[in-house]
Amino acid sequence: MRRIIDFLIKNIHSLTFTFLLSFSLIQIIDKNFYHNSKFNFYSNIVINTINDFKQNFSEYFELKIINENLIIENTLLKNNSINTAENDSIISDENYTYIPAKIISNSIKFSKNFITINKGINQKINVEDGVISKIGVIGIINNNSDKFSTVISILNTDLKINAKVKNTNHFGSLSWDANNFQIMNLDDVPKSALIKNGDTIQTGGMSSIFPENIPIGTIIEYSLPDASNYYKIKVKLFEDIGSVNNVYVVKNNFKQEIKDLEKSNEKY
Amino acid sequence: MKNINQLVFLRFLFIIFSQILIFNNILIYGISPNIYLIFLIVFPLTYNKSLFYIYIFIAGLILDFFSNTYGIITFSLLLSAWFRPYFLKFSFGHFDASKVRKTADYIKETSLYQKLTFLILMYFSHQFLLFSVEVFSFEKLDWIIKKTLISTIISIILCYIFILIFYTKNAR
Repeated sequence: MRRIIDFLIKNIHSLTFTFLLSFSLIQIIDKNFYHNSKFNFYSNIVINTINDFKQNFSEYFELKIINENLIIENTLLKNNSINTAENDSIISDENYTYIPAKIISNSIKFSKNFITINKGINQKINVEDGVISKIGVIGIINNNSDKFSTVISILNTDLKINAKVKNTNHFGSLSWDANNFQIMNLDDVPKSALIKNGDTIQTGGMSSIFPENIPIGTIIEYSLPDASNYYKIKVKLFEDIGSVNNVYVVKNNFKQEIKDLEKSNEKY
Repeated sequence: MKNINQLVFLRFLFIIFSQILIFNNILIYGISPNIYLIFLIVFPLTYNKSLFYIYIFIAGLILDFFSNTYGIITFSLLLSAWFRPYFLKFSFGHFDASKVRKTADYIKETSLYQKLTFLILMYFSHQFLLFSVEVFSFEKLDWIIKKTLISTIISIILCYIFILIFYTKNAR
């Protein structure tokens, strides 16, 4: 302890200098938007390459679990194909292209969580494409480089997703309150909707990002606050965002067309 | 002005605010002259080093707030402060900093060339750092050097006049 204090006293000037210098450097990177993005650009390249390398290793040990999951997915898809052959439905999935991707870094411990996946501009992935897994919504792409993309996780307090109750088709917006990583809040469902615990929540078709009817979770609790016309609903997610590995990027093939159309409306 | 703390503080206020209120609004060849570096150049040599760094840091912080360049001026000012002893040694020879009590000593007793070398070294390194941190890429090196040269020349002329006007024979 005495030695530490001696060291501090001896080097107080250079320590002050280093401290102040690093503080100003942090300020440069933190406050200036240009420096920040430039810094992120270079650090992302380094971090993502390391993460990719690490993922290659850990993937090998998880092969067994992945195999089991694939078998489950296979049976599900088989069942689906049988169903769709019988249902002569008009709505097809031609509007959307699905690109398989792998998550190489993920977090659930912050209030604004981001995910990195191993597909980027080279795979024609654009900003604002959706990301889903087979049993849930994962997030929306917010930034991409040649080989990688970052995704705003649905476990991010900034993200709101259009969702609906399966039976009644009432719409609401799904958001996260940063408390429990398996529970999200569904707001703006009108009180005329007849809902009960256990009802399934799906994506609504109101946005051009996600296709309709992707399962998200089930209602575990709901209440109607006094003098309010809207329910407060708590939804438990099907997908465990913390352990998800294989995801699909959803590209809406007609997004540009929809946007252009909406833009032309704004003129009037 | 017997108290050195008082002197440094008054200098701090005077130089920083004249930079913010007057010289930040002047544009010569697209560059506003840099006066605040005088504060660093004539800072008393015998002053406590940590306090010296803190003074420089606060000065940079205030300047940064008023020119919307968060941290850039602070960063380059601190580095210049670190370089200053080496430049002093280089331009004025091997003198013992602890023996020189007054800034006026080395203003009076040295030749114009020595003073100019010191000013040019200080200004050039500072402006070069400032512009390179601001641009943050080496692709625009020619732009950085052009800006650095112009601002160095303009600032040195103003700085020299400033020092001549305000320095009495007993300045510290």
